[in-house]
Amino acid sequence: MLNSDKVVLSPLFRKRIQNLHDNKISINNMKIEKLGSIDIDDHGFIYYDNFKFEPKTNHKCGYVYGSKAIGENFREFLNQIPTYINMNSALATCWIGTIDNWVKVGIIPEDKMPDFEAVCKEYKITQSGFGAMNHLGPDIKIGLELGWDGLLEKVRYYRNIHNPIDTSFYDGEEQLLLGIKEWILRHSKYARELAEKEKDELLKKNFTEIAEMNEWLVENPPRNLREACQFIAHFQAVDRTYFAGGALGQLDEILRPYYEKDISEGILTDEQAVWYVASLFFNDTHYSQIAGLTPDGSRDMTSRMSFIILDAMHYIHIPINIALRVHDNVNKELLRRSLEYTVSDGTGVDYSLNVGCEEGYAKNGFPVQVGRLRAKVGCNWTALPGTEYPLQDVTRCNMPIALVKAIEDIKKMKKPSIENLWEQFTYHLKVMLDCIKEGHDGHYEVVSRNTPEIVLNLFMHGPIERGLNAAEGGVDNNSLCIDGIGLATVADSFAAIEQRIINEQRITWNDLFDALDSNYKKNEYLRLMMKNINRFGSPDSIAEKWAIRVKDFFVEYAKKPTPKYHLKIIPGMFSHGDVFAYGKLTPATPNGRFNNEQISHSNDPDPGFARGLDTFAASLKATAVAKTQPGLGNSSPLQLDVDYGMMNTENGINALISLIHTHNHMGGTLINLNCLSKEQLMAAHEDPSKYPDLVVRVTGYSAFFSSLSKEYRQQVVDRFLSN
Amino acid sequence: MTEGRIFNIQRFSIHDGPGIRTTVFFKGCNLRCEWCHNPESFYCGKQIEIHPNNCIGCGKCFQICPNKAHYIDESGNHRIDRQKCVGCGKCANVCFSNTLIAVGQTINVESLMKSILTDLDYYKSSGGGVTFSGGESMLQIEFLKEVLTECKRQKIHTAVDTAGAVQWRNFEKILDVTDLFLYDLKAADAEIHKKLTGVDNGTIIDNLKKLSEARAEIIIRIPYVVGLNDDQIEGISDIIEPLNISKVEVLPYHKLGNSKYKALEINNKSPELEIPSDQMIEEAVKILRSKNINAIKA
Repeated sequence: MLNSDKVVLSPLFRKRIQNLHDNKISINNMKIEKLGSIDIDDHGFIYYDNFKFEPKTNHKCGYVYGSKAIGENFREFLNQIPTYINMNSALATCWIGTIDNWVKVGIIPEDKMPDFEAVCKEYKITQSGFGAMNHLGPDIKIGLELGWDGLLEKVRYYRNIHNPIDTSFYDGEEQLLLGIKEWILRHSKYARELAEKEKDELLKKNFTEIAEMNEWLVENPPRNLREACQFIAHFQAVDRTYFAGGALGQLDEILRPYYEKDISEGILTDEQAVWYVASLFFNDTHYSQIAGLTPDGSRDMTSRMSFIILDAMHYIHIPINIALRVHDNVNKELLRRSLEYTVSDGTGVDYSLNVGCEEGYAKNGFPVQVGRLRAKVGCNWTALPGTEYPLQDVTRCNMPIALVKAIEDIKKMKKPSIENLWEQFTYHLKVMLDCIKEGHDGHYEVVSRNTPEIVLNLFMHGPIERGLNAAEGGVDNNSLCIDGIGLATVADSFAAIEQRIINEQRITWNDLFDALDSNYKKNEYLRLMMKNINRFGSPDSIAEKWAIRVKDFFVEYAKKPTPKYHLKIIPGMFSHGDVFAYGKLTPATPNGRFNNEQISHSNDPDPGFARGLDTFAASLKATAVAKTQPGLGNSSPLQLDVDYGMMNTENGINALISLIHTHNHMGGTLINLNCLSKEQLMAAHEDPSKYPDLVVRVTGYSAFFSSLSKEYRQQVVDRFLSN
Repeated sequence: MTEGRIFNIQRFSIHDGPGIRTTVFFKGCNLRCEWCHNPESFYCGKQIEIHPNNCIGCGKCFQICPNKAHYIDESGNHRIDRQKCVGCGKCANVCFSNTLIAVGQTINVESLMKSILTDLDYYKSSGGGVTFSGGESMLQIEFLKEVLTECKRQKIHTAVDTAGAVQWRNFEKILDVTDLFLYDLKAADAEIHKKLTGVDNGTIIDNLKKLSEARAEIIIRIPYVVGLNDDQIEGISDIIEPLNISKVEVLPYHKLGNSKYKALEINNKSPELEIPSDQMIEEAVKILRSKNINAIKA
């Protein structure tokens, strides 16, 4: 019988975890003060404003490129960054920022593609995927089994066996690993110094344990849960330093063997386990998953460790990125507990859904058993741990730009029509997709010699064995993502045209063109007329029909392989929080949207879509998002912001459980959930500093509300109020 | 095909019966409860809500109104002369700023069922269904009966939320197609009931007794309003005690409907009512439970 009891913390561990929470708030406040607002995921880095680093460049333009040079610089960097041990934490180390703050890393000028960049510029493709890094999922068990020294031996072994002419791939990996070991050893010595000076017995004991643990891990793999968490903390810090990233894995299954062994040996209590995991969350906000089906589909993977992870998340109450993989037989208590925590804490896990993710992935020609392995390890995305190079979340195709260009085209026609508009829209969309695919081909050609995945190569099956970067054959599976964004903006625009110009004949094409050219200046009436139709999200609306049509076209064209190297493409629909950044690049659109205003998010309906007899309902939104899933396994999230008063009841939790399962059965892939009260949200928006520990799920990622800029906070507020 | 007049379809309702439900709000009511938060339900005909803060001053409503019902008052606010307004909705049809909103739409069974079926998967997964509320849905009994029958044909759980102040034969018409009655009891004393709602409670209590005898599934809902019916709980519990009632829900009064009175320019008799405390509600629940009644705070 699975023990699902909530872990009750003694005063010592309650205080430690509360202190970690408070420390995190202080660290975050300092970051806001020094760096301004932070609109991306909360990261666990500690800010040191006096740290300086001089890289050794190997390119005339000041770049550091290639495995060897990067490895050497990384080693030196790790030897120079401050040591960090938080006295309330079970673990040592932190990271201080991504290395590109100090080292110019990227694609060198000779390897850039001017023609490709010209098209990107014209179509405002700011995230083409070319040169993008660190968006693949590691198999952390590789490192846990070998330890850092074992990884170093592995690198040396395969360098020796292959005896390549150019050893730089292996040399770089070797340098990195030497740097990691040296960095860990410094922490061990630092911990000893702290222990020697410390008078408080409990703190002294903690520092001593940290010292011994890190000393051990320099040369050996982890033996117990705490050492496993420490190893993962090392990994998180190094991984984030190299191009941010943030993918971890199936965390409950990763830690379960250590937990069970320690419990059976009588060397661990549940509250210690909670503290270790909370310390790991304090170290960084890497993305991980709990629960889900075993690959053969025979049972749910929920274990005691899954509950401990949830409790750790709840107790420390800081931004954390855990997904719970839902399927029909997911542990009921785990699902309910996760929702109870969301209601009490404002946000919590997000819900990765097996039908859309696993069965969708199988439609690409993979066995569904492999699909079950694909863990949610990014703000929106999933990847096979250790065996897939998916380039997720770094490519955005802003579909409203294709629409804007199409409108420019039909303006020149004698008799514009909606059919012409569709034809031109699809033409420009194809140009954008072809451009991105050309970029993917170029990326494949050059990225490995510029910025190899020097950290994650160590945690993938193949790169070290083959001497090949993950992006160029190091792993067997390259399934590159392209995300379409702004679906509702496009669908609502087409629908408004169909309704107001074609069906109702309230306005003419020229009226629309004039209004768009003037950014709706002096034509607020027309703008509101175009805006206030039955928008995407309204059941059986014209806009829904267009949304499905646009989605179908996008998926069908995007999934064709790249032209030169025939690389596989899996389309998705995810905008991250970039709806403002892309909005600023997008002129006024026929759905009543002003120039520079944010575009719609992923394939969510725009807020305020419900009209007439229909008032907003979570099920309406969920159904719309389900109907517009790309359907091939890459996620398109449903963003739900529900009212605390409504959900803080038995009925509320039961309703959410039903909604989650129903959305799953409809083919949904991901649900991001906030549970907020209007009063608190509005007060926090007015003065975020008064609510420093309010955590929200912005889109797929979790952040302190107070870290967000006013416009990002407005995004959350607008969504909530429209509900 | 039979038609009805409704004013709202609220999906994902979790407080109007079991599971996830769609609540359909019927227009027209024969009570005038002082605390009602759906004043748009009083009148069965179409009405126009006005939200002057949204007005962009385009003047289209002025131009199109056949009865010249729109005007600007001495404070410069856009107003509607309710004596002249017939609720034709032409003004709302040309207003896109959400200043003028037509409330109340005629709908046939087929169209309503299409809307109801949108969330069929949610009903199935949650043990939910459809609730017919308002207003008083039983005043449109033929239409209600047809919709209920169609819902049962589609194997959808049905609930009717009623104040009970209709003829018993209306209940008889829908007994076999209604899985659950949500039955409001607002006061035990007939005079107080009349004062607070505009009608006395004789028919209401009689119908409740007959429903109980007919072994219908019944949940009683008691709106708790401080200073108006908070002294009626004892009397209400005496009415309920001998009957077959599944559950009693005590509903704390809330102010969410106040803005609607303003928008419809209807006199709000009690705009400043107190929100009851948790303790008050718990006390009411305690009284009910002391008579072995299964009571909860909603």
